[in-house]
Amino acid sequence: MMKEVKIYDSLIGNLNEDLKNVLIKIPLHIKGKVEEIRLKKEKPLMIYYEGKDYFVTKTGNLSKDMSKGIIVGENHIVSTFQLISNYSPYAYLEEIRNGYITITGGHRVGIGGKVVYGNKGIENIKNISSMNIRIAREKMGISDSLIPNLIKGKKDFFNTLIISPPQCGKTTLLRDIVRNLSNGTITSNYEGFKVSLIDERSELAGMYNGVAQKDVGLRTDILDGCLKSDGIIMAIRSLSPDIIAVDEIGGKRDVDAIHEALRAGIKLIATIHGSSIHEIREKLSMRDIFQEKIFERYIVLDRSKGVGTVRELLDGNGKSIPFIKGA
Amino acid sequence: MLFLKLFSITSIFGICTFIGYYYGQKYALRFENLVYLEQCIKILETEIVYGATPLPEALSNVYKKGKTRVSYIFEEIKSDLVLSKRNFVYESFLEIEAELYNGLYFKKEDVEIFLSLGRVLGSSDRLDQSKIFKLILNQIGAQIEEAKMEKRQNEKLYRSLGVIVGIGIIILLI
Repeated sequence: MMKEVKIYDSLIGNLNEDLKNVLIKIPLHIKGKVEEIRLKKEKPLMIYYEGKDYFVTKTGNLSKDMSKGIIVGENHIVSTFQLISNYSPYAYLEEIRNGYITITGGHRVGIGGKVVYGNKGIENIKNISSMNIRIAREKMGISDSLIPNLIKGKKDFFNTLIISPPQCGKTTLLRDIVRNLSNGTITSNYEGFKVSLIDERSELAGMYNGVAQKDVGLRTDILDGCLKSDGIIMAIRSLSPDIIAVDEIGGKRDVDAIHEALRAGIKLIATIHGSSIHEIREKLSMRDIFQEKIFERYIVLDRSKGVGTVRELLDGNGKSIPFIKGA
Repeated sequence: MLFLKLFSITSIFGICTFIGYYYGQKYALRFENLVYLEQCIKILETEIVYGATPLPEALSNVYKKGKTRVSYIFEEIKSDLVLSKRNFVYESFLEIEAELYNGLYFKKEDVEIFLSLGRVLGSSDRLDQSKIFKLILNQIGAQIEEAKMEKRQNEKLYRSLGVIVGIGIIILLI
């Protein structure tokens, strides 16, 4: 718990002084649970945890009454943007074009504002009007009980798909699985795998200045900020991975790249937005993948017992696999 | 008595010459410091436009690579920016305004040009920053030319004036 509080305290150090002085006062037991801090120009300061929004008052108390929340001014937004971009928006332009900035600790700050288009698509986001700070929390060991069910013998791995609605911990679970697969130390019956991690939105490894802020394992190569479809092809050509890990697949190009990886004999672990295997099966872009029975394991998440609850583990035919629920 | 006279004459001559040299030297120093400032801004341009180095690190690099006689102001800006968690870069530039006048002998126009860099530094994309640097460097270049002319005209003038005034006072006293 103290570690979680420290993460929160260090994160709010990146905010405007006025906002920081308010957010530092929120109750200690909530600091460790906060998932998002939301700043919107001329709107009350909000935090989000356990699936609910709360407004933060001047004294650092939380309220459901929006009139009690401290109002975020333009100065707060501008100043916070300066601090999170290290006074250097030009150095983060690639990320800003994608709508976010990753800061120390691997936390991601989503940006809202006026999107400026140029000849090559989005050029910049100006007149920043809102920021959504998502606190990246590493949960080591949440995949320990799942790993034995994902490993085939000593050197093989079942292609795995993690199915989860938003905010249910699929990225956190994928990160921990990658760490375990890469380190190979959780059980003695398998060696570490070479993993190529395609981290399109810098969420998995939280790269900051070329250093992964999250532990993604010893044998993991990271392609940071790279499109999944490009990253999969690049990894096949140059990184000789045993396993490729990608977050939030869904597009046709992603599916084509997955086929390419399978043709090269590489295993795959991916996540996808959805609440059940049936829902995913109905997605047009995923039909081929299901017909070919590419995935041999499905992990379905929800938040019935908190973020990251593993509702079920299924095999390639959709049959439930019993496992010890540690996550 | 003679010793006292000799001492007084030497002192008056020395003080007048020193004041003349001091005023003359200000023109020389302004010129040299502007040249060094131009070099520092070019280093900063390289760091930002070509290296995309984050601003605090870029300012530190300018301090290390530039002539420390001038480049120390960039380290001071960086320290103020990071330690005081300024809302805007310009606020840190304003903190060293007095130093630009007193420590580097810059004139109001030189200082204004440098501060105008602080107003926009780091706030836009690299293409935009490149244009800003070009403009600032042009303006600094013009100031260097002007400082060079002033130096040529005034440096010797003040030095000679100091010596002449010293001799004049001595003649009057004798």
